[in-house]
Amino acid sequence: MYVFRDGEACVSRGGGSEPERGPRGASLAVGVSAPRTMFRYQSLEDCPLDEDAFQTLGEEDEDIDQFNDDTFGAGAIDDDWQEAHERLAELEDKPATARELEDGAVSDEMDLLGHHEENLAERLSKLVIENELEDPAIMQAVQTQPPMQQPGGLNSSIWDGSAVLRRIRGPLLTQEMPSVSVLEYAMPQRPLQGQEDERDLSERALPRRSSSPVIGSPPVRAVPIGTPPKQAAVPNFNQQILCPKPVHIRAPMQQRYPSPYGERMSPNQLCNVPNSSLLGHPFPPSVTPVFTHLQRAQLLGGAQAGRMSPSQFARVSGLVGSPLTSMNPKLLQGRVGQMMSPASGFRAFFGAPPPSAPPPSQQQQHPPCPGSHLQNLRPHPQMFRPDTTHLHPQHRRLLHQRQQQNRNQHRSLNGSAGDRAGHRSSQQEQLRKDPYANLMLQREKDWVSKIQMMQLQSTDPYLDDFYYQNYFQKLEKVSAAEEMHGDGPKKERTKLITPQVAKLEHAYKPVQFEGSLGKLTVSSVNNPRKMIDAVVTSRSEDDETKEKQVRDKRRQTLVTIEKTYSLLLDVEDYERRYLLSLEGERPALMEERKQKICDMYDNLRGKTPGQERPSDDHFVQIMCIRKGKRMVARILPFLSMEQAADILMATARNLPFLIKKDAQDEVLLCLLRPFSLVLYHLPSGTVTSLLQQLANLPQSVTAPAPANLHLAAVLQNKFGLSLLYLVLSRGEELQNSNAGTELMQDNQWTELMSMTTRELLRIPEAALAKPVSTPSNLLSLFSRYVDQQKLNVLETKLQLVQGIR
Amino acid sequence: MLSFEFGLCINCNQCLIFSVTTNADLTSLPEKHLVLLRDGRTLIGYLRSIDQFANLVLHQTVERIHVGKKYGDIPRGIFVVRGENVVLLGEIDLEKESDTPLQQVSIEEILEEQRVEQQAKQESEKLKVQALKERGLSIPRADTLDEY
Repeated sequence: MYVFRDGEACVSRGGGSEPERGPRGASLAVGVSAPRTMFRYQSLEDCPLDEDAFQTLGEEDEDIDQFNDDTFGAGAIDDDWQEAHERLAELEDKPATARELEDGAVSDEMDLLGHHEENLAERLSKLVIENELEDPAIMQAVQTQPPMQQPGGLNSSIWDGSAVLRRIRGPLLTQEMPSVSVLEYAMPQRPLQGQEDERDLSERALPRRSSSPVIGSPPVRAVPIGTPPKQAAVPNFNQQILCPKPVHIRAPMQQRYPSPYGERMSPNQLCNVPNSSLLGHPFPPSVTPVFTHLQRAQLLGGAQAGRMSPSQFARVSGLVGSPLTSMNPKLLQGRVGQMMSPASGFRAFFGAPPPSAPPPSQQQQHPPCPGSHLQNLRPHPQMFRPDTTHLHPQHRRLLHQRQQQNRNQHRSLNGSAGDRAGHRSSQQEQLRKDPYANLMLQREKDWVSKIQMMQLQSTDPYLDDFYYQNYFQKLEKVSAAEEMHGDGPKKERTKLITPQVAKLEHAYKPVQFEGSLGKLTVSSVNNPRKMIDAVVTSRSEDDETKEKQVRDKRRQTLVTIEKTYSLLLDVEDYERRYLLSLEGERPALMEERKQKICDMYDNLRGKTPGQERPSDDHFVQIMCIRKGKRMVARILPFLSMEQAADILMATARNLPFLIKKDAQDEVLLCLLRPFSLVLYHLPSGTVTSLLQQLANLPQSVTAPAPANLHLAAVLQNKFGLSLLYLVLSRGEELQNSNAGTELMQDNQWTELMSMTTRELLRIPEAALAKPVSTPSNLLSLFSRYVDQQKLNVLETKLQLVQGIR
Repeated sequence: MLSFEFGLCINCNQCLIFSVTTNADLTSLPEKHLVLLRDGRTLIGYLRSIDQFANLVLHQTVERIHVGKKYGDIPRGIFVVRGENVVLLGEIDLEKESDTPLQQVSIEEILEEQRVEQQAKQESEKLKVQALKERGLSIPRADTLDEY
C-alpha cells in the first residue's frame, strides 16, 4: 500500500480512512508528514484505528514509562539499530512539524530530541526544589531568557537540517522512480495529529514497534532548513516531490568510500560518505523499490558503520536517558553543514523560492534559506546576548571579542546583505573547523551551571565561605587603592555573583505514617538518635597524681584559650555585622560586643570578678601556649587602655619565665606590635612602672642587686630587648614632650634608667640579643644618664648610631 | 603558556561554569582545555561535554608529559574522565600556547626522560626511608594520604 507524498492514498487498508482524513487533512494541511503518516498507520499496521483510538492512545501516554528501554529504547528495536536510528530521526521531525502546526508556539523546553528532552527537563526540574530555581542568580546563570527562546526555534531549524539530510537521501534513492514510495515510510512513522501534537508523540510505543519494511530513507522534507515552521513548507514540499533535484547535491560530492574506522574522519567528511555510497550506486530502475530494511541497513550501515555507530548507538539506547545523547544532533548538524558546502547545488535543491509567508516575529532569525540554518546556529547579534555578568571579566572580554570577530568576519564576507553564499561559506568553514562545537546544548550547559550555582547558595556567605569572601575583599581593597593612585582599574576583579538565598527554616518532621501509633524509630542525619549514653564522671581529687594535675591544668588552659578565641572571633566580626544590621539592632550589638570583650579579659586574667587579681598564674599559663600568645596579640587592640596596660605589666613581670617557655616557639615577637601600639598611649607613670617590671625592681627603690638577672634575661632575648627599647623609646618621647618634665622629676625613672644603662654596659656584646628595631632616640636618652665615655661604649655596643646622626 | 580563565573558586565546581559558558558563541573556534588529573597526568584536548560531577569528555586528547624543560605529547583520542579524578581544568589561551620556554620532544624521548626521573626519585626516596628507619621514624606513603 503506497501513499503518495501529497497525502493522496492510492490504497488503504484501514477502514474509515477517508472520512478521517478529511478533518485531519484540513487541519494538517500544513503538516508535511501528518496525513501521510497517519495514513500509513492505518494501512501498514493493519489495524483499523480510528480517531478515538488515537486519542486514547495519546491519553495513555502519560502512563507509559518513558524510560522503559523495551518500549522506547534499545529494546524496542526488533532489528538493526540503524533502522531504529532512522526511526528516531523521525521522532525529531515531530517537534518540528508539530511546531508548524501550532502557531509558532514554541515551548521553552522543546528541543532537538523533542518531547523526550522536554520530559527529561520536566523531571529534572521536579527534582529540584522550586525555590532554588527561582533564585535570580541561578536563573541568571542559565541562559534561557526570553530572548533565548530562540534556541527552541533554533533547534528546530537545527533539527530540520538533519531531517533534511535524511530526506535528501530519499530522493537520491528514488530519483529513478519518483512514483514509488521509497520516499516515504522508510521508517515507520508516527501519526501526527493536529492538536495532539502537544503531547509527545514519540511516546507512542505502538507506532515504533510496528515494523514495516524499512525502505530507503525517510521521506525528504521539503521544508528548507530554517523555514519557519508554518504552512509555507507545504508548497515546497509539493514542488520537491515533483522535481527532486538530487543531482545538484550529488554532483559536487566526491566519491568517497567508507574508510576504515581507525582513520580520523570528521563528521563533515562523514556526510560525504553515506551520500556518496548512495549516490555512487544509483539503483537501476529495475530494482524493486521496496528494500528490505536489511538491505537498506546494509547500505547505510556499510556507509556509516565506521563512523556513525557509536553515536547512533548512543542515541538509540540512551535517547531518553541523558542529554549527552544530543551529541548526535550535533554530529548531524555538522554533517548538514557539510551538506551545505555544495552551496549552489543545495540552493537549487530547494530551488523553490523561500516560503513567501513572512516568518512570524519570533522567527526572524530564520531567514528561509538553506544556509540560514547555519546562520541560525550562530546567535544573531541582536537577539543573543548571553548573560555574562557572572563570568570572569577576562573571560567575558574574550568571549565578546570572539563574537565581534565572528560578526565582523561574516559581515565582511557578506558584503551585501543578501550575499548568503559568502556568509554561509565562512560559517561552514567555521563549522568545518570544529564540527563538534556545541556538542553540548546551551540548555545542557545551563543545566550544569544551574546545578553549580545552586551549590553555591548560601544563607551566610561569611559563614560558608569565609576565606573566599575575605580574599576578594582584600583584592577589592587593593584595587580600590590602586584606582586612587592610577588612572583606572588596572585589572578588573569580579566576583562570581553567587545566589543569595533567604534563610529557610525547614523544620524537620520525622517520618510518620497515618494511623500508626507512635513514631518510627528512624535515625537520620537530621534526626540523630542517641546511641550511647555517655556520662561525664569527674574524677576525685585524691586519686590524681601530680602529673595528672599538671595535665589537667594544661587542658583547662587550652579550653580557656579556645573559649576566648571564639569570643575574639565574634568580636572581630562585629564590625561587619554592624554594617549589615539595621539601625535599631546596633545598640544591642554594641552591648554584646562590649560584654564579650569583658569576658575575654576575664578569661585572660583568670576569673576573680570584682577582686584584686592576685596572681598572674592564669595569664602566664595562657601565655605559655603558642596559641595563647597569638590570641593575646589579637585581643589587645580591643581592650581598654587600663586592661591593656595590665596585660603589658603582667607580661613584663613574668617575662623571663615566658622567654624561657617561648624558646621553642618564638612567638612572643608577635606581641611586639600590639604592645608598641599600647605603649604609645600610655602615660608616663605607667611607663615607669612598666620599666620597673621589666627590670624587676621592687616598688620601693632599694639598692639594686649587683647583677639583675631579670633584666639580663630580658636583654638576652630578642623580644625582651625589643620591648625594652620600646619602653625606653617611649620614655624618651615623653621626656621630650611637654609632659616630659614629670618623668624627669620622677626619681624612679632616673633610678631605673641608670640601672638599665648599667646592665647594658655590663652585658657582653655577644650575649646581647638582636632587637627587632632600634629606636633612634635611644642615644639621646642615654646621653642624659651616662657620661660621654659610657655613651660611646653604649653606642658601639648597641649599634645605636644609624648613618649620620 | 596557559591562561587560566577562572577566578578563585569556592568549590571546584565553580571553575566549570566558566569553561562551559564560554561556548556561548556557537561558531567560535573550539577552546583547548588542560586538565590535571589526580594521578598527575596532564591532558590537553577540546572539552566537549561536562556535567555536574565534572565528568569530562575530551576530544582529540593529548597526554602531555613534562620532564624538566621538555615535554612530549602522546595523542590519545577521546577521553572520558570521571569527575572525581579531576584536579583542575583550565582553558588554554591559543595565542599564548606557542609562547613557552618549554621544548617539545618526541614521545620516546620524553618517556625515557620520565623513566629516568622516576628512577632517580625512587632511589632518593628509598634512601630517605632507610635513614628514617634507622632513626626509628616512618613517614606514611603519600598515596595513603591521598584520601585526606
